[in-house]
Amino acid sequence: MAQMEFGGKMMEIDEDGFIQDPEVWDQAVAADLAKTEGVEELSEDHWKVVNYLRGYYLEFNMAPMIRKLCKESGFKLKEIYELFPSGPAKGACKVAGLPKPTGCV
Amino acid sequence: MDLITISGKGGKECSVRLRGHELTTDMSAEEGGNDGGPSPVELLGCSLGACIAMMVQSYCDRQGYTDGKVDVSLTLELADDPKRIGGFIVDVELPADVPENRLAAVRKIAEHCPVHATLNTPPSVDIDFTLGNT
Repeated sequence: MAQMEFGGKMMEIDEDGFIQDPEVWDQAVAADLAKTEGVEELSEDHWKVVNYLRGYYLEFNMAPMIRKLCKESGFKLKEIYELFPSGPAKGACKVAGLPKPTGCV
Repeated sequence: MDLITISGKGGKECSVRLRGHELTTDMSAEEGGNDGGPSPVELLGCSLGACIAMMVQSYCDRQGYTDGKVDVSLTLELADDPKRIGGFIVDVELPADVPENRLAAVRKIAEHCPVHATLNTPPSVDIDFTLGNT
């Protein structure tokens, strides 16, 4: 499995760039993962989405459904894509350090 | 219904022809294609979104709700075993003058568009194979 440095730490990533150990995630890791998604700087809105995903994952050990993410974060689907051009699964979940969601293509 | 023909163009690319129109489908580079067009699965999402947009826009036009237009944003939730679309997430933006008390009617129209109805009541798919095509 490939390794890359995020937030000053070497970590394993899968073929789509998702980190394999959610425990090693921190804000510096998120900032570097965001750059791989074309997001140079994480704004307050980015963090709102990332922190919601992170909290949900830590509580339920899975990513939320997209509609739930929209409702709970207060962002429309279009706005989530404006923040994370690869979308909630490929983009936002990756930056939040979650494993690649099931069925993600 | 006019005939729809689909021809492989090599790799994962296909040429789709119907009623004098032509479009290309392909997979993204990360899915092993050349990204020459939307994927077949993405097109299914496009079908649903366009059908909803068309039906809701027609309703707004008929009712005279003209302070803005109808826009649809849509994405797919994919599922495995078997690999398929697990859900459609659809956001519909409406003209500003659609009264709150008409939103239920708008929802009914969106949920009864032909593509939505097809997904809700899955059609039969009858496939036949012929050997010797060149």
